[in-house]
Amino acid sequence: MAQLTPLLIVASPRPRVGKTLLARLLIEFFQSAGRPVTGYDLNPREPVLAGRFPALVETVDIAETLGQMALFDRLIAQAPHPTVIDLGYRPFDQFFAVMAEIGFEREAFRRGLEPVVLFVTDPAPATVNAYADLQRNLRGMSFVPVHNEAAATIFNKEDFPPSSAELSPLRMARLSAIVRGVIDRPSFSFNRYVTERLGGPTEIHTWVADIFAEFRELELRLIMSKLKLNFGARGAPRRRPERQAS
Amino acid sequence: MAKPTVIVVGADKGGVGKTTVARTLLDYFTAHHVPVRAFDTESPKGTLKRFHSDISDIVDVTSVPDQMRIFDTLSTADASVTVIDVRAGLLSPTLRSLRDIGFLDAAKKGQLTFVVFHILGSSIASLNEIEETTAFTSDAKYFLVKNFINNTSFFEWDQATHAAYFKKFKDAVEITIPKLNEMAYEQVELASVPFLSFVANKGPKGDAANYSFVLRGYVRHWLGNVWAEFDRIKLNDIVAAGAAQPAPAGSNPRVQVVRS
Repeated sequence: MAQLTPLLIVASPRPRVGKTLLARLLIEFFQSAGRPVTGYDLNPREPVLAGRFPALVETVDIAETLGQMALFDRLIAQAPHPTVIDLGYRPFDQFFAVMAEIGFEREAFRRGLEPVVLFVTDPAPATVNAYADLQRNLRGMSFVPVHNEAAATIFNKEDFPPSSAELSPLRMARLSAIVRGVIDRPSFSFNRYVTERLGGPTEIHTWVADIFAEFRELELRLIMSKLKLNFGARGAPRRRPERQAS
Repeated sequence: MAKPTVIVVGADKGGVGKTTVARTLLDYFTAHHVPVRAFDTESPKGTLKRFHSDISDIVDVTSVPDQMRIFDTLSTADASVTVIDVRAGLLSPTLRSLRDIGFLDAAKKGQLTFVVFHILGSSIASLNEIEETTAFTSDAKYFLVKNFINNTSFFEWDQATHAAYFKKFKDAVEITIPKLNEMAYEQVELASVPFLSFVANKGPKGDAANYSFVLRGYVRHWLGNVWAEFDRIKLNDIVAAGAAQPAPAGSNPRVQVVRS
């Protein structure tokens, strides 16, 4: 079984639900493990992620064909390594439409890259429908619902089923307001904080440790779900990740 | 002797995408392993020849030697399908010449399969042009093509007018060519390769190319939609019926090329 590296697409059809924060944490997670990581900031009007990681994250405007080429052609051409996409709410529909139209998923798998949608949830019916539509249109793609407690207190797991039984929802706990202000500062880095800050574990330490543990678990679960696909669970239909040729 | 197919692709105006449609036809037959040849009448320098040089020739359809080159070889050529890309504005005159040399009669007698793709322009005048063309197409499979490749909506006809005209021509079947991303279209132009080669990431000599994956994806998706239209009109069956059915005994298409 070929090794697949994750292409983590942090997405939501709504603004201000914590996508960029999650993307930030993912990048710092790979950095803390000493693993190469690149990112794409698909918020051309407000490229916060690119602002925080100028050496690693590129801003892309997929409203233009050239922007689509700058993103998807580069993903196909690069040697596979963990990649994080902060998908702004504005290009949400277009991103998945282009991805489907050009047959990106199939080519990505061929190149050892596995697209995984980290869908940041909220209880609004429009969001629930968006999730269902996306899963239906992109069968074969991995979906992990994310519950960001700071953005939405309620998470109804029936509304957001992950794409396979091995994957479970990702949880981001709520931070106290003061701490939230601290981490939002432009210069704040989680990794620098946990390595440099002396004294006992603070709220931030615990919070980051919990989230990084969730990330490690996610990677393991992705591997497990691929194993199951390849060897077939008894009684379950074999499901291959490639889309059918059109 | 297998019955050959002749497909005439024409338009009354330039710029409606006639040669683009001809190119998708050549790719369609190539993909279906139907040997095809093309004649580009945009003499002296043809666009079709630029993209499909190995199977195209440039001809001057008004010259008798060139007419003979096309029609005298219908039965003997390796290709079972001959595509003729008629210069813009010359569709009706070309069909008239075909009638004069006995080509339409040969079609009527079942000695060959005759197909016309009429690429429509967006103005209301196009509807009148259909009427002129249909005078010659009673023994042809006649397809009206709306080409949206460069525009999303340019047809000025209102529903009522549209219905009135299309009801008149019961034998005409409509095809729609959908829009293609402009940059993708441009890149194929620059590469000067068939759409199929662009999708396969191949250069003019079949060498490996380095085209954008995104643009190739757009062309693949678009070409798939175009071919779905050709499937819908059963184009492969139309051509294959000709190939499978031998022409009536003792008749090779007798087409007299006589200078009028």
